[in-house]
Amino acid sequence: MDVVVQLLHPSVLVPWMLAMLFGIFAGATPGLTATMATALIVPISYYMSPVAGLAMIIGATFTAIFAGDIPATFLRIPGTPASSAAILDGFEMNRRGKGGFALTLDLLCSSIGGLIGVAILIMVAPPLARIALRFSSAEYFWLGLFGLSMSAVVSKGNTFRGIIAAAFGLLISTVGMDVTTGHPRFTFGQLELLSGVGFIPAMIGLFGLSEVLKLASDPATLNVPSITQSAKISLLGALPAIWRHKITVIRSALIGTFTGSLPGAGADIAAWVAYGVSKKASREPEKFGSGSEEGVIAPTSANNAGLAGAWIPALVFGIPGDAVTAIVVGAMLMYGLRPGPLIFEQSREIVDSIFMIAVVTQILLIGAGLLGIRAFSRILRLPRNAVMVIVLLFSAVGSFALENSFFDIYVMIAFGIIGFYMEKNDVPLPPLILGLILGPMVERNLRVGLVRTHGDFLPFFTRPISAVLAAALFITLFGGPIWNLIKGRLKQP
Amino acid sequence: MSKRVLIVVVVAILLLVMSGIVWARGAPEEEVYPDRTVTIVVPWAAGGGTDRVARFWADEFQRELDTPFVVENRTGGSGAVGHSAGATAAADGYTITMVTFELATLESMGLADLTYADFEYLLQMNEDAAGVIVRSDAPWESLDELLEDIRNNPGQITFSGTAVGGVWDLARVGMLLEAGIDPDDTTWIPSEGAAPAITDLLGGHVDVITNSLPEAQSQLEAGDLRALAVMSDERNPTFPDVPTLKELGIDWSGGTWRGFSVPVGTPDAVKQVLIEAGQRIADSQRFRDFMDDAGFGIRLRLGEDYAEFVEEEHYTWQTIIREVGF
Repeated sequence: MDVVVQLLHPSVLVPWMLAMLFGIFAGATPGLTATMATALIVPISYYMSPVAGLAMIIGATFTAIFAGDIPATFLRIPGTPASSAAILDGFEMNRRGKGGFALTLDLLCSSIGGLIGVAILIMVAPPLARIALRFSSAEYFWLGLFGLSMSAVVSKGNTFRGIIAAAFGLLISTVGMDVTTGHPRFTFGQLELLSGVGFIPAMIGLFGLSEVLKLASDPATLNVPSITQSAKISLLGALPAIWRHKITVIRSALIGTFTGSLPGAGADIAAWVAYGVSKKASREPEKFGSGSEEGVIAPTSANNAGLAGAWIPALVFGIPGDAVTAIVVGAMLMYGLRPGPLIFEQSREIVDSIFMIAVVTQILLIGAGLLGIRAFSRILRLPRNAVMVIVLLFSAVGSFALENSFFDIYVMIAFGIIGFYMEKNDVPLPPLILGLILGPMVERNLRVGLVRTHGDFLPFFTRPISAVLAAALFITLFGGPIWNLIKGRLKQP
Repeated sequence: MSKRVLIVVVVAILLLVMSGIVWARGAPEEEVYPDRTVTIVVPWAAGGGTDRVARFWADEFQRELDTPFVVENRTGGSGAVGHSAGATAAADGYTITMVTFELATLESMGLADLTYADFEYLLQMNEDAAGVIVRSDAPWESLDELLEDIRNNPGQITFSGTAVGGVWDLARVGMLLEAGIDPDDTTWIPSEGAAPAITDLLGGHVDVITNSLPEAQSQLEAGDLRALAVMSDERNPTFPDVPTLKELGIDWSGGTWRGFSVPVGTPDAVKQVLIEAGQRIADSQRFRDFMDDAGFGIRLRLGEDYAEFVEEEHYTWQTIIREVGF
């Protein structure tokens, strides 16, 4: 009970609320990520109590991850990397004038997904963290490959071109320093390329700028407002849809929490995996990619749950599960707390506060999120040519903001042009993004894994968790066709 | 308003504006440093260890010198991007750089055409020595036993801690060379930093990590991990039971460090202002508390001392990098 009283004190509640509003702003602004929001909050939090600081960080990050879906749905620019899967069905819904509905659905599922993730964090953090420890290169390799296999799933039936796009993404992801030797690859002496092609500027260009180019090439569409009807927001209206897809919500949240709890994978990968699995499991997979409710629900349930999952290793071992918790672990040291095996005994009340804050944040998120959706949907009442100017501005500022680098603006423009021509030739963009996100994970873990085994491939198949993951991948890829083959044989007498 | 009045007004305004420009141009000669925002370039990401130290100092400098100090993170290329940006900034004292250990290795690793000579040095405030850390249930009770095992079973023991050619990798190489062991008799598993390396060690996927002791403090205190040695000249006061390599007969110390630098050609008066303010900050209890809480080792070197130290580092690491041929 003390915990609750402490949380309701104005010295905690006020910064908490402000941080959530800041989270909406940071998440909805492309180039400002949840990680950056945390990094900006931490120095301020040193002047407050640890509980207030943690409330600000937790409040800001969960709202930011949701808010990333707002520009993804309205403008097709993911606000954070974790929202890159939201451009698929959310934006399609918006195109049909149902953007408000898509985001309401998105918001509620964010909150529910977050709650499920936090519940798992509270109940089974230690055992789950122990499983996460057993993941090494081989396991991450299969997980990454599993994610890459989603390329086929998100190709809208155009598998061949999807594979070309994914391969192009993989190629781009090899730019930068080689992981096992430390040598620069494909950098042409450019310092900025040493750390690889910036994923966020590339993503903003591919989706945001390319959309501007597309509209600019068809001037007839420019003068009409983006949405003819007002973006209707009705919480109650979204509930039946969520009830219809409750299994999708729960499954995605579980996938999200587990993926998030792995130190080598985060909310962005969680969202894609949940999307792919939901499509495979769906009764109407053909609707995915053209404005399916499940396609909106799955990634958003997973990414907020993934954020909660990242706290699992952070609290249990003091090992951050993602970039946000990496900063949090540092901040907690400054508060005089040492996350790790002993924190549950030494600072039980702080752990309880974190749990409580995380639960309440999911509920407050609905209010903050609605505010964000309303504020943002005003932009869409403007004529489309004005909206496109805003998109351009957002794209440039967002690309620059991440690393204070003009180079990233050029990257953004280059990928905008690439994205425009790819879409013109019916090459799907999402596989390219998958290749970019997962390329480093797959390559790195394959090569580091081979260093571990002195070049032997066998352990990739014989390590227990590895074997399960490999089998799961095999079944997803070939299970359907093989099953059909067997069924076909049986039917023929 | 008649035309003539208008002309008079316009001319008057023009004169005023021009005199304003002349006045503003003339001003710098009497200017007191600093009179506008100073940027601290940090070559590492927001939220990381270096960033935290830099932001603490930005706050303190701001208090001391009554001018805004802002942190700008210029990440990428193992620190190459930020260090280069800092070295090539205007040498007027309004851009200072938080340089780190990597400055001593960028050139030898072939990452950037940049060395210690591209900076002038204000002060160093931190140094964290590499450790030799194993799981508590590991078979080696001492460093000697570990090294003996490596000699007897070359190629079997895996080390981790950071990327290939990163500080903890090079510290390992230095230790092994000094102990008369071929570094290739151990395997370095690249990792993206301390956290994944510790995960790998806890999960049993590597045998030894050479991260600094504070980086693994919670696991060391909880008894999950054990430190066999620390690669510094003196023992770490937080871990008084961990012997130094020198005590164990291996003449080697190595680790990471952080400090402030300015571009070559920065006026001496400006450097003096910053060094004096920095010295006051370093003497404060607040600074000591900050470093203790965050688990950073304090090491203070000023001006020339610091410059000599970085030059020394350059040659130490260059030798090691050439020896193993990264």
